[in-house]
Amino acid sequence: MSIQLRLAARYLAGRKLRTTLTTLAIVLGVMVIFGLNGILPGMIQSIQQVMLASVGQVDLSITSASSGTFEPSVAQAVARVEGVRAVSPALRRTIALPRDSGLDASALVVVGIDPVTAPHVRPYPLAAGRMLRPSDESGMRTAAMMSRELADKLGLRLGERFKLPSASGTTVLELVGMLDTPALPGSEEVIVSLPMAQRMFDVGDRISEIDAGFVSGADREAVQRAVRRAIGPDYIVGAVQTESPLSAGFEAASFIMNTIGVFALAMGGFIILNTFRTIVSERRHDIGMLRAVGASRRTILGMFLLESLMQGLLGTGLGLLAGYGLAIVANNALGRMVEQIINLPPTDVRFTPSTWVTAIILGVGVTVLAALVPARAAARITPLEALRPAIGDVYEAAATKRGWAGLALVAVAVAGLLSGNTGLAGLSVVLLLAGLALGSSVAVRPLSDFFSRAIELVYRSEGGVARANLQRNPGRAAATASAVMISIALIVALVGTITSTIEGFGVYAEKSTGTDYLILPQNLLLGGGTVGAGPELRARVQDTPGIGDVATLRFANTVLNGTAVQVVGIDPKEYGRIAGFEYSKGSSEADLTRLERDGTVLANGVFTAQYGSGRGDTLRLPTPSGEKRFRVVGVGNDYINAKIPTLYVSQAALERWWGVTTDVLILADARPGSDKAAALRELTKTVAEFPSFALYDTASWRKVQADLYAQMESIYYVLALILAIPSLLALLNTLTIGVLARTREIGMLRAVGGTRKQIKRIVLSESLLLAALGLSAGLIAGVWLGYVMILAVEGLGLAMPYRFPGVGIALAVAVGLSFAALAALIPARQAAKLDVIRALRYE
Amino acid sequence: MTIAETRGLTKIYGAGETRVVALDHVDLAIEPGEFVAVMGPSGCGKSTLLNLMGGLDTPTEGSVVLDGRDIAAMSDDELTSVRRKRIGFVFQFFNLIPVLTAAENASLPLVLDGVPPKEALGRAEEMLAKVGLTHRSGSRPDQLSGGQQQRVAVARALITDPALVLADEPTGNLDSRSSEEIAGLLRQVSGEWGRAILMVTHDPRIAAHADRIVFMRDGRIVDDTRIANSDSARDAMERAGLL
Amino acid sequence: MSVRHAILGLLAHEPRHGYDLHGAFEALVGGRGVWPVNPAQIYTTLSRLEEAGLVVKSMTRRVGGPDQNVFELTEAGREELDRWYESGAPSMHQRDEVFLKITLAVADDRARPERVISRQRATLYRDLHELTTRRSQLDTEAPLAHKLLLDKAIMHIEADLRWLEMTEARLHEMSRQPVPEREKPRRGRPRVTSIDKRPGEEGGDDT
Ligand SMILES: Nc1ncnc2c1ncn2[C@@H]1O[C@H](COP(=O)(O)OP(=O)(O)O)[C@@H](O)[C@H]1O
Ligand SMILES: [Mg+2]
Repeated sequence: MSIQLRLAARYLAGRKLRTTLTTLAIVLGVMVIFGLNGILPGMIQSIQQVMLASVGQVDLSITSASSGTFEPSVAQAVARVEGVRAVSPALRRTIALPRDSGLDASALVVVGIDPVTAPHVRPYPLAAGRMLRPSDESGMRTAAMMSRELADKLGLRLGERFKLPSASGTTVLELVGMLDTPALPGSEEVIVSLPMAQRMFDVGDRISEIDAGFVSGADREAVQRAVRRAIGPDYIVGAVQTESPLSAGFEAASFIMNTIGVFALAMGGFIILNTFRTIVSERRHDIGMLRAVGASRRTILGMFLLESLMQGLLGTGLGLLAGYGLAIVANNALGRMVEQIINLPPTDVRFTPSTWVTAIILGVGVTVLAALVPARAAARITPLEALRPAIGDVYEAAATKRGWAGLALVAVAVAGLLSGNTGLAGLSVVLLLAGLALGSSVAVRPLSDFFSRAIELVYRSEGGVARANLQRNPGRAAATASAVMISIALIVALVGTITSTIEGFGVYAEKSTGTDYLILPQNLLLGGGTVGAGPELRARVQDTPGIGDVATLRFANTVLNGTAVQVVGIDPKEYGRIAGFEYSKGSSEADLTRLERDGTVLANGVFTAQYGSGRGDTLRLPTPSGEKRFRVVGVGNDYINAKIPTLYVSQAALERWWGVTTDVLILADARPGSDKAAALRELTKTVAEFPSFALYDTASWRKVQADLYAQMESIYYVLALILAIPSLLALLNTLTIGVLARTREIGMLRAVGGTRKQIKRIVLSESLLLAALGLSAGLIAGVWLGYVMILAVEGLGLAMPYRFPGVGIALAVAVGLSFAALAALIPARQAAKLDVIRALRYE
Repeated sequence: MTIAETRGLTKIYGAGETRVVALDHVDLAIEPGEFVAVMGPSGCGKSTLLNLMGGLDTPTEGSVVLDGRDIAAMSDDELTSVRRKRIGFVFQFFNLIPVLTAAENASLPLVLDGVPPKEALGRAEEMLAKVGLTHRSGSRPDQLSGGQQQRVAVARALITDPALVLADEPTGNLDSRSSEEIAGLLRQVSGEWGRAILMVTHDPRIAAHADRIVFMRDGRIVDDTRIANSDSARDAMERAGLL
Repeated sequence: MSVRHAILGLLAHEPRHGYDLHGAFEALVGGRGVWPVNPAQIYTTLSRLEEAGLVVKSMTRRVGGPDQNVFELTEAGREELDRWYESGAPSMHQRDEVFLKITLAVADDRARPERVISRQRATLYRDLHELTTRRSQLDTEAPLAHKLLLDKAIMHIEADLRWLEMTEARLHEMSRQPVPEREKPRRGRPRVTSIDKRPGEEGGDDT
């Protein structure tokens, strides 16, 4: 109805400051949700694009479900399927380029193709030079092709030679042909003959991909299905596997961002609740009058809901804009960081329909929902209200029933925490927050009595007035305190968890990297893509003077329940001698030796937490050589793989089932009694011949890790600060409301001799009291939440030392009190500035 | 013929210790075009009577018959519709929506009744002209004087052609000159436009504009006097002690 | 009431004959309906004034009918008029009929003071209605004098109504006290005798 629309619009425009504050609250939440979600899909998409682009114009591409290599015989099976015109085997590997490679890229994709069959399934338009020839397979000619664009970027001319890291150290290639295909950022391909590539990566005659072309006019869907039937479930037909650990990581990040956005919106919800409670009570007269002249309850309800809808749309609209800005800024910053780790092209900010829908529904939904309770209260106002004389900011009864419900929730939450079940403990946090929010309206009085004693020590008379003011409207105070509470709880928990985790990993790193030296690829991409070293590197390290025990780690992938799992191959004997492997409860060193039997695995903590299977369970894992059953014989963690679901198998099993024989990680100890410095010098010389590998001794490794965590830590502090902003808005909003509602009283105080300074102090005291209420609940909830988060991390199998979050609490108290002072600034000035005569006349 | 009538109208607030009989079996009949003033000390039940007759509240006992229908038995929605169509209210504190213009305020009951806003505004302008507010129809309430605001309220009360206009101390918040003007306006509303008016007032001069005065005490009507068409002014002057 | 002085005042403006005086008086108070005085009263008063030597017949005119005397002020008349202007007019509200009715009815078992009050109030409201109506009918061009006179009447009625209300509220209290008697005056008796005498009051009562 248009009258509701008109009224809603006029009322909104009529109270600019409050509308602005309320809008800001919504903007913040929507901005976080929308903005951050705008970056991640772009990155995920970009990863997928890079993968898909590599498939090119081929009709069908077949890869292994476990992302590894497989027998070339599969190609024949595909060729026999009706409708398939031609097949061509290929081997595709991403190699990370060492920093001193002389090439202007951090990673390249090496693709081995069969020069005879490949042109039948995919075009290779030559721009210059020649196509690869079968004679290139002889091994004498190390010919390579690449796109002209890539060649330009790398600064290579036709006929020039360049070095790439390979399993045997380095391989020298000669650029013989330049292609007219665009070099998609992130998938810069260097094309060599298949046998060349197989040698470079030491995979025997195995391949990683089969490209197929269809008979023209064939039913593509049908052919795809037939191919799938012909080769079984171990292969992915059609598209490149996108369920990579990397994109899973991004999705987890997206989940965290959404959670934070939802929390920000929840705080916004409390602000909106306060705003609408206030406008309903301010407008009692108007509502009563409307009812008297014939507006129905629905009309009134509709009017407020419409107003909240407009408020929500306004906030959400601005939030989307701000989110767009945030996405662009954050994308630039984050993109640069990501680019250093993996060679991902600068991605576009992109908003998927679901991001739009989520942001809009949450932004508008939270606003309307928060306004619902006050709106219903408004609809219940009787027309008789219109006849009663105007009343100011009167005492409001505390909602005792709600208070008891809140207390009951808190009790249930305590029980949940004590239950020892991680899931229940997690739920208990939600219950606790809800319980505290509900119960706070009852706690407002005793708590503010308590805290005001402290304030009255400094501002004797002003503190008392502030307390009385606050107690007049326990509902408003409670909602404000709840918003502050959520902020504080998150700050305490975040900071607490971070300190605990960092300390925990520090201890962990100390134990886990019990080895003196660590040799690993310069750009370590666990879970795939990283080129390993052939047996040569391990042998050279072993032969280096001063070096004692050596152990290596090899990597492959498998899939369980649709998600990627990393498989690490170790030599049980040598690994046990050298590596600090942390056994979880119930497992011991003896389990490691069991690994020598085929069909056994060790699982790490993240794996058991994620898949719920532990010691004694049997897993059916797809491998390039078909499905295989493995029994979990123990649970434990090593530091490097602690964050990724990982299964450990013997290197023999890894070779047999996954066909992987290259070493990715080499751990080495100095021979007892030898000169460590000398050993390090020798080792440095050895590793220098393998340019894609880097050497760390214990100290430098820890420093690298510490830097990494410091970076993470700062990100979390920024997050905590963002989460604190809504509480500032909530305080500001409430104080502004209070000053406005009490204009007359302030005028009276001034008239009977209250100084401006005293008025300011009253507002400041009220702000401090509100913050203190929020702090007291928030600290409890924060310590609780932090504890539950540590429990959750422990559930992953990482023993985390629980540290009482002293730093977090100190930070939260500092943030809370300084925000209280900050929030009081404007309203206090406003109150002090009031013209006495006008204030006394104020209706 | 009566347009509004109460029969045994009783309203009791609270219970036990706090029980207050605000209205005690009140019978009152109002004819079309009649201008009735209700007088009596504070707390005697005047407002309660008006609220019940206007369907703002429901009686404990008895009935209110408006246009031949008993509104005491109606649901909230029905009452709302009666208030919208058949009753006009004028309040002591004007009760205009501060964010709407004079014309928009006056057009409210029509708009709530589903009349297209444009047409409603047109009729509101006409009504404002009738109550003597031609040039201020675009002003917000805070730009109008108390008397002008009350004129807008009167226009709002009249815009739906109500059977009965209820005014609870309509001049209680006005200076004497504006009070006089509003009382004169109500007199015109009843005399020339034929609306029945029930008005509560404390001010004898305002009550003197009515045709009839109902005196209340302790929830009961104690006196009901026609005051229009009385003796000549000479007697009046004489009794006033001027002769 | 001082029709006497009104005649002196009107003659001070210009000499007039009796009929002329009657018209002038009616115009002054705003019409016959407001404060009616009949011509005979004017003539009687004139002859009394002449006897007292305050006015004289100055001239006899004959306009196609009986003789008409034109009166004018004498020196004594001028002095009397000046004295009138100089003195205050008495308030006569202490001589109140309603008061008598109520106090007597309180003591009279056959009479009901509530009824007296109710009747009186109805009467007062009727008057008030009448005067208000008349007052509101005066257009903006009507002489201010007329409005002021009506306002005065209205204000007096309001005062009477207020008094009536107050009395009604205390009726119960009053009925518990005996009617004031001459020999033994009590508290609560209306203090008629103590009302201030203002200078010049003696000369003011002849209606
Ligand atoms: N909502 C209410 N709850 C309890 N008592 C009420 C309520 N409204 C009015 N009353 C009581 O009813 C009586 C009549 O009130 P009201 O009609 O407002 O009087 P008036 O308008 O004549 O001053 C008073 O005693 C008042 O205290
Ligand atoms: Mg009242």
